[in-house]
Amino acid sequence: MIEEPYRWVEAISNRREYIEGQLASGSPIAALGYHGGILFLTLGQTRQKLFEIYDRIAMGAIGHPGDIERLRLAAIELASTEGFTRSAADVSLRRLVHYSLSPVMKNAFEQVYGPPYLARMLFAEVGTRPENDLFLRVEYDGEIATNGATYARARQDFAVLSGTRESGELMEAFLKTEHKPDSSFDAAVKSALDAWSVGHMLLQGSDGKQLPGRDAITQHRREQLAMAAIEAAVLERDGSTTIRYRSLEDKELRSLISD
Amino acid sequence: MDRSQLGFDQNFSGAAADFPSLLRRKGLLGPAVTGAMVQTETRQRMWQPTEATTILAFKFSGGVLVAGDRRATAGSTVVYDRADKVLEIDRHSIMAIAGVPATAWEMARVLEHSLQYFRRTQLQEMSVDGKVRALSKLLRDNFGFVMQGVGVVVPIFATYDGISKPEARLYFYDAMGAQFEATDYAATGSGSPTVRGILYYENNWGGKRLYDLNEEEAMSLALRALDTAAESDTATAGVDRTGKIYPVIKIVSREGIATLPENKIAAVFKQMVA
Repeated sequence: MIEEPYRWVEAISNRREYIEGQLASGSPIAALGYHGGILFLTLGQTRQKLFEIYDRIAMGAIGHPGDIERLRLAAIELASTEGFTRSAADVSLRRLVHYSLSPVMKNAFEQVYGPPYLARMLFAEVGTRPENDLFLRVEYDGEIATNGATYARARQDFAVLSGTRESGELMEAFLKTEHKPDSSFDAAVKSALDAWSVGHMLLQGSDGKQLPGRDAITQHRREQLAMAAIEAAVLERDGSTTIRYRSLEDKELRSLISD
Repeated sequence: MDRSQLGFDQNFSGAAADFPSLLRRKGLLGPAVTGAMVQTETRQRMWQPTEATTILAFKFSGGVLVAGDRRATAGSTVVYDRADKVLEIDRHSIMAIAGVPATAWEMARVLEHSLQYFRRTQLQEMSVDGKVRALSKLLRDNFGFVMQGVGVVVPIFATYDGISKPEARLYFYDAMGAQFEATDYAATGSGSPTVRGILYYENNWGGKRLYDLNEEEAMSLALRALDTAAESDTATAGVDRTGKIYPVIKIVSREGIATLPENKIAAVFKQMVA
């Protein structure tokens, strides 16, 4: 089959379609930089989706649990051995993703007789100042998106991950207007929950393209919060401890949401 | 097609191996040396007391206090007078070392990374028993070097058990990796016989049990004990009065690890000891 270039392209595109279909139901994840660090937030009922990778690095993922687990362990292993042989300061998210994870995922995706990774991941690394925070999204085909400034847009201090491209884009559009850099923790929690709702509404089949109204978002959020638990974690900017990752309780977050 | 070519290890699996074996697989840590290579001539040297230092730890009302002097020696030469032998392993654990510094610090580094690696991969904190055992295994892996007369390490491990029964726990080891849980106090290093005598006396006839001491009393006892050890042991610095170098004192409690600031130690020293 893959002797002919055209067949290979066709196989790749089938594979893309298949994976997109598999990932489409994944509950969105929002990661927002705020004054004291980086907040990861999602809603879910079943398995854990936010993980600690290293001292200053966290990960959120959607996809097949088996594949997420393999990639997560690989990332921890790479970061831990680097941190052990050199130092914790030498562990860098940019290197981890660009030189290790992305090539591996691209390789698996393009070897059409082997299984690809059914996973989409969002990483963040907390910096000493908000402008040093790094967000990286890695797709199942090894494609990388960052929060850095490109020719098309300014630097963002947030990143999202969702089941479909449209859903993710809408969340980004929402956060671009709603989320203020250097905001407070409470404001970040609210923005993250609303961004999640925006993404989730689209996955549930509401009209794409247009941002839903504020009332619709609030109502959707309220409905979902009644059913699902909040899963959240922060990477703290405070340099007094080496380990910055801390997972947050559902209860302590709910008390922040007044409406 | 097969995933082993993709840069991850061949026997990569969800059941993560412990961190030292991961390091060995990648060639980042020397192999575990077992006692197989013991020869008669090395046996002669093997019990030389190379753990030249004094470390002490005891339970008091505020948790466990761990103190160590600052001197590092090579034979009868003092090579360093600001060595830190009381090392933080995680938020609630301290490993205090007597022995060959190169091996001891490497061991502490491996232990620190092992516990974090476990928490991150397994998504749960390692139990206190697991941590104690992990250090025991490192000591056992190192035992070949001990038999060859190099690399002996005799640590103390102090931690706070937040999971099974909330209380401070204290362990001491021998060079082979046997672990002993201490009820009241532990000491290691060349100055330890002196310190053990003092702590035993204080605990039984000192007016107050060690367990009932407040922080200031505990500090002054630790300083007095180290100073007494230094009186007869050249490898222990005690308190350097001219250089104003004080021992390292750390306290493990429910809240985590507190490193006592030098000016606080100096104040207690001036008032209660000097």
